[in-house]
Amino acid sequence: MEILSLFIASVILYGIPLLYATVGEIMTEKSGSLNLGVEGIMAVGAIIGYLVGSKADSMFVAMLFAFVSAAMLGLLFAFLTVTLKANQNVTGLTITTFGLGFYFFIGKACSSNWITLGGNFKKVYDNSIGIPLLSKIPVVGEKLFSYNIFVYLGIVIAILAFIYLYKTKAGLKTRAIGENPAAADAAGINVNAYKYINIIIGAGIMGVGGLCMGLNMGGTFEGSNCWINGYGWIAIALVIFAKWNPLWAIAGTFVFGFFNTLQVYRGIFVESFPNALGWLSKIPIEFYKALPFIITALVLIISSVRKKKVPDEPTAIGLNYYREDR
Amino acid sequence: MTKQVDYSLKHRSEPLFRVTKRDNLDKWKIVLLYIGAILVALIIGAILLAFLKVNPFEFYLNTFTIGLIGNKIPATIISNFINTFVPLLITSLGLSLAFKMKFWNIGGEGQFIIGAIVATSIGIGLGDKINGFFLVILMCLMGGISAGIYGLITAVFKVKFGTSETLLTLMFNYIALYLLVFFGQNKGGWNILLDKESERPKYASISENAEMWSIKLGKLDINLTLIIGIILVVLLFIYYKKTKQGYEISVVGDSHNTAKYAGMNVSRIILRTVFLSAFIVGLAGAFKITSSAHTLSDSITGDVGWTGIVVAWLGQLSPLGILLVAFLLAVLQFGISTASSTHSNLDANFADLLQGVILFAVLAVHFLINYKIVVNTDKFKAKKIAKLKLQGFEIIDLTLNKNSSGKSEDSDNVVEVSHNADDESESLAETKVCAEIGKQIEGGKE
Repeated sequence: MEILSLFIASVILYGIPLLYATVGEIMTEKSGSLNLGVEGIMAVGAIIGYLVGSKADSMFVAMLFAFVSAAMLGLLFAFLTVTLKANQNVTGLTITTFGLGFYFFIGKACSSNWITLGGNFKKVYDNSIGIPLLSKIPVVGEKLFSYNIFVYLGIVIAILAFIYLYKTKAGLKTRAIGENPAAADAAGINVNAYKYINIIIGAGIMGVGGLCMGLNMGGTFEGSNCWINGYGWIAIALVIFAKWNPLWAIAGTFVFGFFNTLQVYRGIFVESFPNALGWLSKIPIEFYKALPFIITALVLIISSVRKKKVPDEPTAIGLNYYREDR
Repeated sequence: MTKQVDYSLKHRSEPLFRVTKRDNLDKWKIVLLYIGAILVALIIGAILLAFLKVNPFEFYLNTFTIGLIGNKIPATIISNFINTFVPLLITSLGLSLAFKMKFWNIGGEGQFIIGAIVATSIGIGLGDKINGFFLVILMCLMGGISAGIYGLITAVFKVKFGTSETLLTLMFNYIALYLLVFFGQNKGGWNILLDKESERPKYASISENAEMWSIKLGKLDINLTLIIGIILVVLLFIYYKKTKQGYEISVVGDSHNTAKYAGMNVSRIILRTVFLSAFIVGLAGAFKITSSAHTLSDSITGDVGWTGIVVAWLGQLSPLGILLVAFLLAVLQFGISTASSTHSNLDANFADLLQGVILFAVLAVHFLINYKIVVNTDKFKAKKIAKLKLQGFEIIDLTLNKNSSGKSEDSDNVVEVSHNADDESESLAETKVCAEIGKQIEGGKE
């Protein structure tokens, strides 16, 4: 039981960066832009947020700088694709290349006087806030129902994003732009302004997710491995799995987090429950790694085969809008 | 002072800047713009280098001469450079085929990996059993075909059900990647890709029999894949310009409906082209195995599947453009990895950063080449007029008040403004206004 609750707690703790990245990408994609730069944006948010935050010894400063630095890359993406009408795939991939290059560049430049995770910064990260009542349940309660600030913040952001996209006028306009920008323009919506806002805020949220990822990795810089470790790409898959809905993204995060964490816990499970879970070790670990992508590919195919009347995928995704192109 | 006339501008509600498509720009201007963009990016890079106390001039010199200066073994460097350049070139060429049809095949990584896996397993499995000549050809062909089929799967779903190919090919990249890692980690009698003698899992090498031939020019080894790559550039050029299939691709790329009404079988064209696109990318994977790597690794692609997308796009999907861009990017990547090897606080990742900055600048310049910015001069006019009004001049709109203009011509403090719908007379009117304003301001001061 202890192992199980520990497992579930890690699923949530290590899965939560995915939620930030996914919600950010949902906002971006709902306004009709496919941002393939998630990995790079998260990396920049992570390293800037971590470095400034640890220098200032404040979690708030770290989050602020992670958000702002990532939002700057979002601004760059928006400027290039919305105003300058550059190809979205190419721009997104370039942002990923640039972001990872920037991550290693800054990391290398600061590695000689690297500040290890500590002080007030670490205290806030480690501080688990229990959910009232639930966390008082004996044995499992403390592990299962108390998490650090990133978990709650992520869920709150996801819920806010849902309310914004599906319950407000601004969200309705955003979705209209994602479906048919020409019609939205004709209806008097400022297409470019909405795209800018969604892309920039979306990127900022991804940056906070990157910071969370970096802290989960213990904040130690390695010259060869980036903290983000491919999570940006999983997030792009998760957007599809969540059907472009931030609330489904919460559930999806835990499904994908489950497979990710299973890779780590597999050995422990097989040892503790040799009879019930012994078969786990027979499945190669690479299968778990590929599973998020396999599931997403299947979801993509199945949803297109079923041909719903209102498709989940924004119709105008990946296409730049130019008013005089009719 | 005479009585003021209310003046309203026709275009006042329009934005200050407007963007319109540009038809064609002089070739030399385009080249100049690109060079300018690259220079700006390099200056930004130089500033970053200076922060790290690295001499930017020396660094760039080493980068763009790919470390040839003062090196005792230039032949090795050149053949290593070719090994970076060729996979990038061939992958980009393959991807451009699909892009030309507006099929966003971003599955280059996956197709490259599949090509490499199949080529390696044939290279190891048949090893010394058949003639080397046939073995190499078989490896390349099978690598290409299997990658082609891997790409074809996504195209089938696109054609049948309209599945988003961008997202599906993206997912297929990772499925292929973890398949590769799976072969690299799990030992067993069935797994011929792993070295049987090694304790820890280690990819096996292909036999010498399965290696690509190269041409010797003195000390220089020119790998045959380089020549094949350049032949491919020419072939694709002819394919696009001179063949029916090449024409069909561009029609489908423009509009599916146009192609359909012209009697083309759109589905068949898409399937054929995507197969060909993925085939060429798979070929690049097989080439990498037979010509330089000789063994698989988790990072066998060297990210060419990603970089290739950028190269194909920046080369404007033309084979010659791709040849040029692939060459420049290969120089940058290879050059920076050699130039940074002598500096402790830099590594090859700086290439990514600089590449990113260069690409941002080039993407911005792309805009200037394809579009032009039209400034709404009425806004300025309105401002000037408002200023004049403040100074106590009378403003007369000639188009609105034709009659009153004659009457007040005697007065010194009059600015005449006229505007018409068409641009020519508008600019004429503007120069008139400016001239008048200048005169009037001088007069007013006196």
